[in-house]
This record gives sequence, structure tokens and C-alpha cells, in this order.
Amino acid sequence: MGKSRRKQKVIPPPELPPDVPEEDIEFSDEDLKFVKENTDYARFVSRIDTGAINRQCGGKVKTVEDKYEEERSKKKAHLEEKVKSSEIQVDPVDVLPVKNLDGTLHYRTVTKKSKLAEADTDDAEMDVLQDENTLNKSQRRAKAKKSKKEAKKQGKEFPEEIIQEEEETPQAAVLAEVKEELSAEERFETKKNKLAELGTELLSDPEAHIKSLKEMLEISKDENTKIVKLSLLSLLAVFKDIIPGYRIRLPTEKELEMKVSKEVKKTRFYESTLLNAYKAYLNKLIILERQTVYNQVATRCICTLLDAVPHFNYRDNLLSSVVRNISSPDEVVRRLCCSTIRSLFSNEGKHGGELTVDAVRLIAEHVKSYNCQLHPNSIEVFMSIRFDEDIGKRDSEDKNLKKSKKNNKRINQEEQNQGQENERKKSKLEMMSKIRDEVNADYKRETYEPDAKERRKMQTETLSRVFETYFRILRNTMHSIGESTEADTTSNHGAFGYHPLLAPCLDGLAKFTQQLDLDYIGDLMNYLKKLASSSSVSNNSKQKNSKLLTVSERLRCCLVAFKVMRSNLNALNVDLQDFFVQLYNLILEYRPGRDSGEVLAESLKIMLCDDRHQDMQKAAAFVKRLATFALCFGCAESMSALVTLKILLQRNIKCRNLLENDAGGGSVSGSISKYQPYATDPNLSGALATVLWELSLLTKHYHPSISTMAATISNMNTSQNQTFLSAVSPQQAFADFSLERESFEPKNETRKLNNKRKRESSEEAKNVPEIDMVEVKKKLIEKFTIVRGIKEDEKARMECS
Amino acid sequence: MRPLDENETTVVFEKIFKFVGTNLKNIVENPSNEGPESEPGRYCFRLQKNRVYYVSESLVKRATNISRKNLMSLGTCIGKYTHAGSFHLTIMSLNLLAANAKHKVWLKPTSEMSFLYGNHVLKGGLGRITDGIVPGDGVVVFSMSDVPLGFGIAAKSTQDCRKLDPNGIVVLHQADIGEYLRDEDELF
Repeated sequence: MGKSRRKQKVIPPPELPPDVPEEDIEFSDEDLKFVKENTDYARFVSRIDTGAINRQCGGKVKTVEDKYEEERSKKKAHLEEKVKSSEIQVDPVDVLPVKNLDGTLHYRTVTKKSKLAEADTDDAEMDVLQDENTLNKSQRRAKAKKSKKEAKKQGKEFPEEIIQEEEETPQAAVLAEVKEELSAEERFETKKNKLAELGTELLSDPEAHIKSLKEMLEISKDENTKIVKLSLLSLLAVFKDIIPGYRIRLPTEKELEMKVSKEVKKTRFYESTLLNAYKAYLNKLIILERQTVYNQVATRCICTLLDAVPHFNYRDNLLSSVVRNISSPDEVVRRLCCSTIRSLFSNEGKHGGELTVDAVRLIAEHVKSYNCQLHPNSIEVFMSIRFDEDIGKRDSEDKNLKKSKKNNKRINQEEQNQGQENERKKSKLEMMSKIRDEVNADYKRETYEPDAKERRKMQTETLSRVFETYFRILRNTMHSIGESTEADTTSNHGAFGYHPLLAPCLDGLAKFTQQLDLDYIGDLMNYLKKLASSSSVSNNSKQKNSKLLTVSERLRCCLVAFKVMRSNLNALNVDLQDFFVQLYNLILEYRPGRDSGEVLAESLKIMLCDDRHQDMQKAAAFVKRLATFALCFGCAESMSALVTLKILLQRNIKCRNLLENDAGGGSVSGSISKYQPYATDPNLSGALATVLWELSLLTKHYHPSISTMAATISNMNTSQNQTFLSAVSPQQAFADFSLERESFEPKNETRKLNNKRKRESSEEAKNVPEIDMVEVKKKLIEKFTIVRGIKEDEKARMECS
Repeated sequence: MRPLDENETTVVFEKIFKFVGTNLKNIVENPSNEGPESEPGRYCFRLQKNRVYYVSESLVKRATNISRKNLMSLGTCIGKYTHAGSFHLTIMSLNLLAANAKHKVWLKPTSEMSFLYGNHVLKGGLGRITDGIVPGDGVVVFSMSDVPLGFGIAAKSTQDCRKLDPNGIVVLHQADIGEYLRDEDELF
């Protein structure tokens, strides 16, 4: 653009506008940038015969040219100045990227900065941070180089930016601006250095320099976001180091009045200052955490603090703000919070389990207030809670203990009645015991090792909260499904999908089912039953509703039901017929891409293979359906189906009638004389009346192992011989073949064969396609004879009936 | 022989519904492949001398040839009206119920005989039980090898069975196949 304009100026000299000098300043920043970027194109300007031009259109153009030149030289001067200045302050600290960076990078630079500063200022401090320093030495060197480069770049960029911002101000103002910026830089620098100094001082001798915490807090009130972030992080580092391993209890007024030694006074002063500063820091963090600019930094500080010092004062505030962010839309923040809470759950020793109870309570309330519309991560953290296995058992022991205590009390009372004479002695004794109790209580409060009783109490509370949350989610899901039948698709569903918490909830239920009370199992099973059968209602109304549970979710419901039943067996073998019906129908609704095959394989394993006893009718129906299923989908699915089928046939000898060639089933077929492939109830499908013709098609499967599997199944006898149960589970088969599917390419094999043939005789190579055609024809004929056979079979049956 | 009137139908259906639930539809709509007709007919309920029979239509047509006094039995007898006027299912209905049963109980081999002598099903004899049984439901009793043995009324829900002691009654006896021997004279 600039170029063309200049050209215009040059070519029609008489049309030159009179106010050239003004336009000189009015060069837009775009033009300047363009020229800078394309200096090669602008070279002709310097080569222009100015004399000739002058002769043509007077001296005005020359002035323009000169001014332009002048400005360029000025800029160059700036540039050099900049580079020099940055080179003077060679320390890589000052060349931190000035442009806004994202949180992580920022953090790294800051820690490095503080370490560098520490290394410079205090050598004695080195041993404290030795490990970190050694870790970072190589990185530091690399960084120093990098930051130098960056400094140069910055130097180049700076004047540009300034000029860009100040379009119409005169040069002087620009210069002033640059200076100001420089001074700001310096201030920034000094503040950073101050932070580093204060931090190192504090770390070297916290008791002496405790007051500098306040100064650091003052710095954190700065307007500059970078300074604030830096100060927050350095405060975090300081606090992490100097917070003691016990909780500070501020002295009461009574205690303050008492005379104490100097030492005690000193520690009291130290502790109270520390606590106040910590409180102020936390307040600051919690306020800043709500602002989007500081959200990540503040959350990082909070999480690190909670993780490092969960025993210290004000932990509840920390915890509540962590829980508030647990399903934050920001991925980084959410990860941080979740991992913090996980580590809280898994390292209960640090805080004695009290925080676990609080965290679970807070999460439960959070879930409640958000109506279960949260990110799945927020519930997944429950999985890392550990419960003692014998929560329930100890109840009885305690009851016994209580009884004995009551007896003791009674005895004591009797004694008291007997001996009223020596009351003085007694009162003395009472005093003693009181004091002892108090001391014990104090001791308990200070040492964070709750006895078994308290621990159990906490665990039961945690457990009840966890299950409360799970049940809330289930109920919520049920309600939303209930609503969905009213075709209310645009209701308040958040960004996390329709039932975001259902999957982790089901997983958790399966994990903690051992701890679930028997009384609740009935309700739980009812819920699961309704959830698993949820979409059969919608099929009737023929509404496609995305709110309904997916096939894998429903399969998961069935799975959880079985797991719950199995873990709470109590020697009662319960037949979960409804869930079998669901599985029977879900097999047909399965689609390979949409639904997870692992869940299907797992449910085949748990529901069909692990169950020792099956109804004959039901087993036959499942055998037939699995064979049909194996025909339709990929290797992994059909292999897992075939493995299940084989196991079913091995267990149920009567079902091997399906392998016989005559349809009708004879006496075992029951009341239903004809196979009904679309029946929803496996008991009413009449599967024994049919023949497993699918197997003979599967023996011609392109995958060799599936075809051999089908062949072995179809060779199974109806005789009573005990065949060994195969060790492979459907899950295993699915995993194996889904892995193999990636590497297995049937085409390659045929190509290899073709290649071999070609090598053997080049003449026959031309005939290869013909041979293939013949083979294809043969195969087609075979298949069609089978299909024809089936049709004739059906016809014959129709005639019979 | 006559069709059931409205009252009788509701009584009979309610009784059967206890055992088979919604599968009652299958019982009513079951196609019969009896007789010379090419199209399968239906089954229907007929009353003959205070007994209720489950008969195919073609058989009903042919049975009209026999006078009411001389007709002993037709189709499957599923129950009878007592002198007091209430309806009882008899053991002959077992096949019908077992094929469509909603609630099932499987007996351990050791307790089969006890049930076949007319005793109730105890928790100790329970081999397996379907989920979701409510007290008062009709339950069909099977042996572990899926042979129907009889039926009865649930005394306890599946949940309660877990905590029940081994001598508690789970299913109240109504009919068992031992009756074919014990009550041979009264059955028909």
C-alpha cells in the first residue's frame, strides 16, 4: 500500500498535495511495518536519482525523503540503545517475556528467578534449595541463552510497539513513553528483586524476619498482574517452607495475662504474625481465585498449600475453595483440584482423615446444589477413598464394650454410696482424673492420630455421604429420564452432556458395594432396573431422545447390578431375570462404533459366563442371539460372542440340541413351537426350536481364528462328555482381537499368496483373477445352497403347521 | 360346558396374573395347532361342572357333540370352583404357569422331596430365587434341573430372604406334582 502510494507521488509530480510535511507524520503503522518487513523492495528508494526528481518537482520531495531517513536513523538508535540496555542487565531474570504468557510458563520462570536471586544473594541458602538448583542447572544455562535472544527480540519489538500505540503524538512523547516504560521495567525489576530478597531472608531465618511477610503481602497488592502473580507464588514457596508441623493455637486472654519467659513471648509473637499473614494471604487468594486473570495461579497456590499443609489452620477455607473449583470448565484448574483431593484421600495420615469427611461432605453439597450437572471428574475422586473392610463388624464389639462400661458405672455408683466418709479423698481423686482427662483430650487434639473408634465414626460418615451422592445422582438421572418422555429437549442441561455423573457413579457403586447396607440394596436394584430398562419406553413412543441412556450406560447398569448381587451373596443365589432380559435386547441395539465393546464383553463375561446355573430356555435364547450377533460385527465382537456361546453350550448340555440338524427341538422346545427372533423375553423366544445355522456361515469367516472357533463349536457333541472349559474370557478375547484388528489385514495375506504364485510361474499370473472368480463362484453357490436350505426348511415347517 | 361370565373371567385371570404377570397375554393369544383347520386357532377358557378348562377352539367345537352330563373333561383343567365359591388353581395348570412364570424358585435336590410331600419351601431349601419377588406374588417352584415341581405364594420378598434364618418359610405351598399320586382320586 505504502509502496503504491509513494509511486503515485513520484509519477505525477504536479499533483503533489501541498501539505506534505504533515503527511510525513501521518504514516500509518501498517506502512512502517510493511516497509520494515520488505526492505528489499524499498531498496530502490535509496537508489532513486534524487537530483532528477528535484529538478522535476522542486525541493519538497527531498524533505520528505530526508525526514523519512531521519526517522529511520532515530529508530535504529533506539534499537541499539535498547539492545545495549538489555545487555547491561545481563541477568536472564530481567529478560522474562513481557508479553502475556500462560500460567505454566510464567510459573517456571518465576521459580527460576527466585532461585537465581537466592543464589546471588545468599550462599548459605544454597543447601536448602540445593536439590532444586542442581536439577535446574542445565536448564538454567539453556534458559539464559534463550532469554538473551528473547531480550534482543524484545528490544526490536519495543520501539515498534510504542510507535504503534502512539500514532499521532510527536516524537518527544514517544521518547517519553519509552523512558516511562523503561522506568516501569526497572520498577518491575526492583520489585522482583525485593521479593526474592525477602523470600530468601525469610527462608534463611524465619523467626528473625517474620515481619517481612507483611512486606511481601504489600507487594502482592500491586497493580501489575505479573508482580501479583510472582508475589503470590513466592509467598506460596515461603509458606510451604516455614509453616510448622502443628496447628497454631493463639493464646487466650488468660494466658496472655500470665507471665511468661522471653522465649515463649518470642514464639508467641512469631506464631501470631505468621498466622495473621497466612490468613491475609488466604483471603487474598480466595478473592483472586474468582477473577479470571488470577484464577489459575490462585488455584495452584491453594491446591499446593492444601496438599502440603493439610493440618494447618484455615484448612477448611482452602478445602471449600478447592471443591468449588472441582468441576471448573478450565481443564488445568480442574485437574489440579481433582489431584489435590485425590492426594488428600490417599494420604489420610497427614490430616487424620478429618479432611476426607469434610471434602466428601462438601462435594456432596456441591453435587446437590448443581443438580448433578458437573464434570465427571468431580465424582471420580471418590474412587481413591479407602475404607477399612470391617466398618460394620466393629459395631458389635463396641456395643459389648459399652455394656461393660455401663456395668462399671453401676459398680462405681454403688461404691460411692458405700463410702461417703472419705469424701475429701474422693474429691481429690476426681480432680486428678479430671485433669488427666483434660490432658488426654488436649493431647489427642494436638496429635493427629484418632483412635479406632473415631476413625470408624469418620469412615461411616464418609461412606454415608458417598452413597448419598451416588443415590442422588441415580435419582436425578431417573427424573431426567422421566421428564424426557414429555419431549422437553431444551431443558437446562449443562455443558457436560446429559448424565455426566452417571458413569463414575456406577463405577463407584460397583467398587464400594461391599460396604453398602443390605437394606439399601433393594432400592438400588430397583433404580438400576429402571435405568437399565429406560429406553424400552421410548421405543414405544418412537421418539428419538438424546436424553436417554446410551447402550453402554445401560449395560453398565446391568453390570453393576450383577456385581452388587455377587458381592452381597449371603449364600442366596438370586436370579436377576430382568437384567437378563435387558441384556438380551441390548445385544441387538449394540453398534460397534457408538458403544464401547469392552463393556459389552465384560457384561457377557459377568452375566453369562460367571453364572453357574442358567435356565435352559434362557441359555438357548442367548446362544442363538449371540450367534446372530457374531455374524454381524467385527472380529473382536464376534470372537467374544463366540467364546461366550461356547461356554454356554459347555455348561448346558441340553442346549446342544441347537447343533443338531433337525429343527423343531422336539420335546425340549417347550410350549413355543417356533423360534421368534424378535421376542424381547429370552424365555419366550422358543430358541430351542431352531438350529444354529450361523455357525456354518461363521466357519467361512475371513478371520482364521474365528472360523476355527466356529468349527470347534459346531463339532461339539450332544453326548455327555465333559469338555474342558476354555480359560479365555470374552473380555480377554475382545481385547486380543481388537488389538489384532489394527494389525491384521486380510488383504495382505492374499497379496502374499498372489506374489508367491507370480514367482512360481509368471504365465499363471494372468489366470489368477480367473481362478479367484471360480473360487468366488463356488463359495457363492455354497452359501446360496445354505440359504435355500433354510428357506425350504421354513417352507416345510409352514406346511406342517 | 359354557364360557366364563365376566365375574368368573376376572377371578380366573387375576389368579393367573399373580403367577405370570404380563405374560398372561401370551397365554390368551397362544396359537393352537390342533384340529384340521389350516390356520392356527386360539385357546379359550371353558367352565364344566365347576372346573375351568383351557381348551383350543377346535376342541371346543367338537366337544359340543357331547352332552354336558356325559362330558368328563376336555383340554387342560387349570382350576376349580370350591363349594364356598372361590377359585383354586390345580396342579394341572402347572405347565401353563411354568412356561410363562414371572417369579421362580429353584429347590436344592435335598429339599425337593419335602416340597413334593406338600410342605412349604424353607429358606434352607432354596437353591435359587428370582429377584424382585414381593410377598403375595405367585411363585413357580422348579428343581435345579428346571423341572417344574409345583407352585405357591411368596411369603417373603427376595430382600427379606437374605436375612431370613434357614427355617423360615419362603413360599407357601399351594400345589405340587406329588398330588398326582396323593390325591389321585379327587383330581379328576
